[in-house]
Amino acid sequence: MTIHHHATDETLMRYAAGDLDAGPARVVAVHLAGCPACSARLAQFEAVGGAVLEQMEPVPMAPDAFAAALGIIEAEEAGRAAPRKPAAARSSSGRAPSLLPGGIPIPAPLADCEFGPWRWIGIGVRASAVRLPEDPEARLTLLRVGPGRKLPEHGHVGTEFTQVLVGSFSDGYGRYLPGDLSEMGHEIEHQPIVDPEGECICLAALEGGMRLTGFFGRLIQPFIKL
Amino acid sequence: MIRPRGPCVEEVMNALLDHARSAMPTGAPPARRGTVVTHLMEDEAVPDGDELAGLIRKVAQDRDRQAYARLYSYFAPRVNAFLRRSGLPANTAQEVAQEAMLNVWRKASYFDPARAGASTWIFTIARNQRIDHLRRARVASSAEGEVPVEDEPAPSGETLLLAAEREASVRAALKALSDEQALVVRLAFFGDKAHSEIARELGLPLGTVKSRVRLALGRLRALLEAQS
Repeated sequence: MTIHHHATDETLMRYAAGDLDAGPARVVAVHLAGCPACSARLAQFEAVGGAVLEQMEPVPMAPDAFAAALGIIEAEEAGRAAPRKPAAARSSSGRAPSLLPGGIPIPAPLADCEFGPWRWIGIGVRASAVRLPEDPEARLTLLRVGPGRKLPEHGHVGTEFTQVLVGSFSDGYGRYLPGDLSEMGHEIEHQPIVDPEGECICLAALEGGMRLTGFFGRLIQPFIKL
Repeated sequence: MIRPRGPCVEEVMNALLDHARSAMPTGAPPARRGTVVTHLMEDEAVPDGDELAGLIRKVAQDRDRQAYARLYSYFAPRVNAFLRRSGLPANTAQEVAQEAMLNVWRKASYFDPARAGASTWIFTIARNQRIDHLRRARVASSAEGEVPVEDEPAPSGETLLLAAEREASVRAALKALSDEQALVVRLAFFGDKAHSEIARELGLPLGTVKSRVRLALGRLRALLEAQS
């Protein structure tokens, strides 16, 4: 899989810093899982984080903090000798194995998510709400759009992150194939068109505030508790 | 290693010594060497990257409390400072820093010096702990107690530079940035809250701060690519 559209430096820096919202962070995680180039760039930004940490002017911990840490550690070490009870298997009841057609697996970084049913959003457009265990309010959506479907031009308040899983779409900025990540800043108006060869499934998250009148806003509106 | 604007070695040592002393009641007998570690030692110097990595290995292999004490005294106050700077209140920053340092002990066997330097690895632990904390605070009804934070995506080894090489090139690139750009990159790591604080402090619009971040990252990227 050759990837042509990558995460921006700003996004990778924010991912490294832990400063991306949960939804966009998952989209980027899915991209990273399939993109060695972006993984290598992320590693560089994490190394920047390491250098930043070293340069911090130390702020002392409370005088008894280290003793407290040791106390916890000793208790845990004593407990290690005892047999551990097996970790409870994570429930995957909400997961629909047939969500992606053609036996294409759900990307590994989404393994612990729950997927809502495909819902009709507009002609040729269906969406499934993805629920994140760490942030039930996060807006993460699987979109399934029919071949040749032209989507209305739209803008958004924050950056829109879209990772292609199946099929392809094109907009004024290029053609996006499986593995590609589209990052559209709020200043950008774009008009994605799904390529005629087949339907396109992508994972999308919107950062920051919402403009519900926009295309994406309308798409995700059914999933938001207003 | 002395870096621009970083505390000089002497300052760091003094801070460490102050910290170590404050950890010990006045007049307390010195720590017994090689036995039970109950508090931080007084005579530590600032360790370098290899030394820090060696300390993590000792914790992983031998559950070495002395090694952990040194890691703690070096990193805990820095993680604490980082968390404070990223906008956590003092008490919370300290709690999260403590939890991060406990994870250093618990996860030491996962440390792979071929993948990340010691400071980088501990940075990612602190970062994940902060994410975890912020999400916990949001998911108030979390009965499970344990909120998962996604693991690092597995890098495909052959495409990643050796960690040591990467650490060196990143540090060289940071040094080659102008003072302002190096500052901007550091501030960018503290997150959005820091952005708006900087904007207020400098009397700049938030958009200007953000575009300076973008410029600085572009320069950093150019420097990193020029090296490879």
